[in-house]
Parts: sequence; C-alpha cells; structure tokens
Amino acid sequence: MQAPLPMPVLNSEAVTPTAMTDTSAGPAPPETDETLMLSFSHGSSEAFTELFHRYRQPIHGFFYRRLSDPTHAEELAQEAFLALIRSVSRYEPRASFRTYLYAIALKILRAYRRKAAFRATFFGRSLSDPAKQDATESALLVRRAIAKLDPIEREILLLREFEQLSYSEIGGALHLPVNTVRSRLFRARMAFRQMLEERAPQPAPQDLPALGEQT
Amino acid sequence: MNTAVHLVHREEVMGLLDGELSPERAEFVATHFENCPECRQIADSLRSSSRSLSEWGAPTAASSPHFESRLSEIASATSRNTSRSGSVLLATFFRKHWLLSTGASTLAAAIALSLATSRSAKLSIPSQRTVSQMSERILSHDGQPISEGQARVFGGANLAKSPSNYDGSLIERSKNGPAPFAQGSLGAAIGRVGADSHGAYRRWLEKKGPTLGKLELEQGAVGPADRFSSSEPTQAPMIARTLSLSIVVKDFDKSRAFLDSALARHHGYAASLTANTQQASARSLQASLRIPANELSAALAELKTLGQVENETQGGEEVTQQHADLVARLKNSRDTERRLQAILLQRTGKISDVLAVEEQIARVRGEIEQMEAEQKSLEHRVDFAAIDLRLAEEYKAQLTAPSPSLSIRLHNALVRGYRDTFETAVGIVLFLLEFGPTILLWLVLVSPIVLFLRRRWLRVQTLAS
Repeated sequence: MQAPLPMPVLNSEAVTPTAMTDTSAGPAPPETDETLMLSFSHGSSEAFTELFHRYRQPIHGFFYRRLSDPTHAEELAQEAFLALIRSVSRYEPRASFRTYLYAIALKILRAYRRKAAFRATFFGRSLSDPAKQDATESALLVRRAIAKLDPIEREILLLREFEQLSYSEIGGALHLPVNTVRSRLFRARMAFRQMLEERAPQPAPQDLPALGEQT
Repeated sequence: MNTAVHLVHREEVMGLLDGELSPERAEFVATHFENCPECRQIADSLRSSSRSLSEWGAPTAASSPHFESRLSEIASATSRNTSRSGSVLLATFFRKHWLLSTGASTLAAAIALSLATSRSAKLSIPSQRTVSQMSERILSHDGQPISEGQARVFGGANLAKSPSNYDGSLIERSKNGPAPFAQGSLGAAIGRVGADSHGAYRRWLEKKGPTLGKLELEQGAVGPADRFSSSEPTQAPMIARTLSLSIVVKDFDKSRAFLDSALARHHGYAASLTANTQQASARSLQASLRIPANELSAALAELKTLGQVENETQGGEEVTQQHADLVARLKNSRDTERRLQAILLQRTGKISDVLAVEEQIARVRGEIEQMEAEQKSLEHRVDFAAIDLRLAEEYKAQLTAPSPSLSIRLHNALVRGYRDTFETAVGIVLFLLEFGPTILLWLVLVSPIVLFLRRRWLRVQTLAS
C-alpha cells in the first residue's frame, strides 16, 4: 500500500539501507556494510576502502551541515574515518554499521564544539560568514530555519532527512526512546515547515550549537 | 486534528511516509489516508518540508589523494594488527567482561596462594618419620647406629667436649600436633646422662680408643685433676638444665590448675609467675618453674599435654669442672683455716702476731662461706632444672560482651554529643578567626576574574544559540 506514496526523504546524498542489500541488482550482490566492517576487522583493508568510498560523501555532508567552516568539515570527516579504523576491534555487528559510524561522527562533532567554545571564550570568535558558503538563496533559508529549531529536534531532523537513520537508530545514537524520537521529529518537521512559510528575514545563523551544550 | 474522529494519529501519517509502521498498521493508515483530506494535507506538508530540505545540498567532498593513500596505509597496518588473533580476542574479552575477568583472576590468585601456603606448611613441618630419622642421625656416630646406652653416653660425651662453656642446645619448632618423637628420646637421653652411666661412658671411651682418648686428655688438661682415675672417680657430669616452652592452650583456667597440680606432683615450684587475664582479649601466663632434674622428663611430658607446643628450646650447661674447682678450693681453704687455728692454739707470740693470725682466719672463713654459698647455688641449679614456660590462650571473641545499661549509654551519648557540638562550634569559630581574613582577601582577588569569564561564556552561549 505504500508503493504509490512517495517517500518524504528526497535527498540523493543519503545512502539508503536498501541500496546496500538489494540482491536483485546484478549477478554479484554487493556486500552489506556490516559484512564489510567484519571483513575489515578480520584483516581486509579492501573492505575498508569500499566503506570509505560509500560513506565519504555522507560523512562530509554530515559535518558540512552542522558546521559553518567547510575546511573543518573535511578535517572532521577524515578524523571520523581514522576513529573508525582505531575502533575496528571494538565493533560488533549488533547495531547497524551506519548507527555505529554516525555515533562516532557525533562524538567527534561534540568534541570539536567543546574545543571551539573554549577557544571562543579565551581567544575571541573567528567564524566565517555562512551566507558565503551556501550558494543559493533557498539553501540559506533552509539553514536559517534549521538553526532556529530546538537543538535535539534539529539533530533528529537532520539525522532522519540527510543521514536517513531509522527512528530506532536515531534513538540509539542520541540515547532517546523511539516514541520520543517520533514525536519530536514530527514537531521539528511541522516547525520547520511553518518557519519556511513565514519567510521572515532572519539573522545569519552561526555555528550550530551541539547537542547537550545548551542547558 | 481530532484523533477520536480519525483513529489515526498525525505522527502515524509521518510514520507511514517514513516506512516506520508495522505492516498491519501501515495498511490501516493507508486506507484511512485515501479518504481523509486532512491527513493528505499533513502528508503534503511533510513532503514539502523534505523537498525544501533537499535544496540544502552539501558540496562534493574534496578529493585528497594523499589522505586516501595515507588512510589505506593505516587501514592495512591496523587490519594486520587487529586481525582477530587469539590475543586480540582475549584482550577484547577482558575489556568487555572486565568485572568477570577481575573476579576470576582474584579467585585464581586466591586458590594459588592457598595451595602455595599449604605446600610451604607441609615443607616446613617435618613428619614424625623425618624427625625420628633426624634424631637417629644426631645420635649416631660416623654413620653407625649405636645402642641406647651408647647414645646416652655419647650425649654426655658431646656435652663434655668443651667443658668450660658448653651450651649444647636442641631447638625444635612445631606448629601442628604434639611433641614429636625426637624431643622425647633426645631429651630423655640427655636427662639420663646426669643420673647414671659414667661407668658406661668410661667403658665406651676405652672401646673407641685414640679419637676419644684425645678428648679425655683435653679434659685432663683443663681440669684440676684426672677426675676419672684418681680424685673423684665416681662423680657424674653435672649439668644445669634450662628449658623454654611456648604452648597455646584452649582452656586457660584448666591449664592453670593443671600447672599447679603438676608442680606439686613433681615437687617443683614456680620461681616467678605472671598471669595476664584481661577481659575481651587472649589470656596469657609466663612462669619460671624449677623442677627436680630427675623428674624433668616426666614433668616436661605432662606440660606438653597442656596444648599445642609452638616453640621449645632445651639447653644444658656443663658445670662439673666449675663444681670440682670449687670443691678443691674449699678443701684448701678449710685446710688453711685448720692450720691457722692450730698455730693460734699451739704457738705463742706477740699480740700483733696473734692479731695477724686471727685476721687471716677471718679472711679465710669469709672465703669459705662465699664458696659454700656458690657451691649450694651450683648444686641447686643442677638439681633443679629451670623451665621458662609461656602459656597463651586461643582467644575466642565473646558475642555477649558486657555492655553498660541503657540509661548510662544514653547519658554518655548525651554528654559526648554536647561536648562534640561545643568543640565543633569552637572549631568553626577558631577556623573563621584564623583563616577568614585570608579567604576574604582571596575572594576579592579572584571574583573579578570569575565574573569576567562567566560573562564571556554567557555571551558565547548566546551567540552560539
């Protein structure tokens, strides 16, 4: 019954889980992320190369949307892959690989934000203007609307829309119950829609604050 | 939207679009969705949001061949190191189940420790058989087993080897069980030497020939005369025995009574006795006993039945030569005294000569009395063996410790509480008086910095949000 209904997530950057497990695509079915990660943990560096190519763009987008400086986004993406290599011995295929990877990325993001807040406290604030990075007006509007959301709701919305995590995966990454994720995601989507419709002039958003930093 | 009318929550519409509903619920919601304009409106709104979000695309990640090659190198190195070898698996297991691992390690260490302890205890306590073998080795000479009589005599010969300052001793420690065989046999052998068998000793000396003849010559050289052949042929070696015993007893009162009765039975006495009987602690007793030498073996055997012997030391001092010297000197002094008295009676002379002779008589008399006292003391030491006895009780903590009554305890608690409160209050006042000015000074110095940092932090937070 769901077939005629278009999925609301239209972002083509995101890697859909079904694409990884589609067995009818060709004669040699592609391996799942979990299988590749296990192969890597058993000593196959080719498996890691494959994972890197699959997730390089999504991880870059993850940091790009959450930071104002694209240089830092690239740097943090590289750091995330290095952390993935370091933590390979601890990986267990209980949770999906995507949850594991984005949990690492979230940790790196939080650490970066803590350091940035510390630097800003003692050495002043030196952030570039985000408006220059977003080429289109609509992207800027979206960014401004997103920046006005509650931090947790914003993170849930981003993880769902761009990283395409399921509700339970988001709950696992953010340590929230699934019902909370569902209701807050709905609230975030509605609030985002309303803000876009208002189209009011907004102040330029700064670096998006991290989860848990707002008390 | 009213859920009572719809029977479908708004979030379920979103769940349907996100593919997060169970198949049954998804079918129900989809059926409802086709006939409900409000739900379709929500769906449109959600789709519109997603479309808007999709406009916020991220640029393509910059390709960095250097980083990629470096990353693949690191990945290769890591995959080589972390290929699941046994050690890695073990390390992972320990990291994940650290509590279990710690518990298991502690248990294993405890078992190993207890095993090692029991093993070392076994090694340190020789078995009865080993002790008897040791005693045989002690009693045999040149590897030849000898008869009991010879053993006794040989014990005496050993004691006589250095007559002037012999301190032959047998120290034996026993933690478990009663006194082993060696103690009894050797102790009895040493004890019997004093009582009999000088004749046997002589016979054995004659058999052994030149080796022990030398010993005899040595004895002759150091002694005043050849005691075996001429002056006092039947004098037995005189040995002053000293013993030290540490015993752990179970019933202290019973042991004390037994000790008194044993002393009476063996005609001994306690030269000194100190008993420590404090409450709520192990009682102990320290006594210096004197037991007649001929009853020493029996008394020792009885004392050992008191409890577990923890330490036993036996010693014997050969005083034969000392005693013989004393007897000879005494005899000479008495002869001198007799001659002086004869001079005084038979000769006549000046008053000054008479006084000089009397002075000599008084001096010799004094020497004689001093030597007689010394001889008595020596003979007493030989006749009565000295036992230094220590009794310790196996302490068992009492559950019903005597406690003061409730009213006294309440009173004491009240007094203590009042005193503590007062002392605390005085302490606080003293602290404030002593450190208050310093604390105030520091507050004045530090507060501007803290306030500045806080204001700065709040500003950053405001900007960030």
